[in-house]
Amino acid sequence: MTLEVQTRQTEGGITVVAPTGRLDVAGAPALKDAINDVAKNGPPKVVIDMEGISFVDSTGLGSVIAALKRIRNRQGELRLAAPNQQVRVVLELTTLDKVFPYFATLEEALAGF
Amino acid sequence: MSSSNGGFEFHATLAELEEGLETLHRSIDRLRAATGRESDDMGLLHFETALGEIGSNVLTHGRPTGTKHPVDYRLSYVRGVVEASLTDSGAPVHEHLGRQMPGHESEAGRGLAMARSLLDELGYERDGDLNRWRLVKKL
Repeated sequence: MTLEVQTRQTEGGITVVAPTGRLDVAGAPALKDAINDVAKNGPPKVVIDMEGISFVDSTGLGSVIAALKRIRNRQGELRLAAPNQQVRVVLELTTLDKVFPYFATLEEALAGF
Repeated sequence: MSSSNGGFEFHATLAELEEGLETLHRSIDRLRAATGRESDDMGLLHFETALGEIGSNVLTHGRPTGTKHPVDYRLSYVRGVVEASLTDSGAPVHEHLGRQMPGHESEAGRGLAMARSLLDELGYERDGDLNRWRLVKKL
């Protein structure tokens, strides 16, 4: 299952990056490419909508860390939305839940951003 | 694949990265169905996460250029214990086994530390030119 990534902009100027599939060693490059495109256009506010991610591995997680660094280098902000149980397990196991603010739903992630 | 008396067995050879990863996840889906476990069963979810880590390492590094040997993969479930074995023909990996969880800024190097935390047993043995991995978890 290849990772597919859709990107859209909200009326409030927030970029929503929505990957679908497994964010693993095979899928991570697609997310990196999408974030690099987003980061080219000035200080970004980005939400990665994880609802379509069925599984994440450490390489996929690495691509999210790379995204965070890239966006912060552009004085932007990144939030994660709607991670499933497996993604939350990985975030907590690696203590990266303390680094990434994540929200139960996309709506919650967009609110007040 | 076979399933009898509440047990379960699955065997495959993995020759390509994406297809191999798909097979690993499919085998867990079949185990989940065969044992009547829900998709949010935490023990199996931990096992699948560890399997994904070791599997991706093996599929990425365990098939040196020119090798004709695919990765051998077996999964079994007997009396509440799930066990997977992966055998590859890559270079020895002893020096990586004790790797600790890196800091938050690191983009790589978490896989083995994650697998160790998620399993009851993570075994590794160098057998001639082969690496043999064994993953065990009581569900």
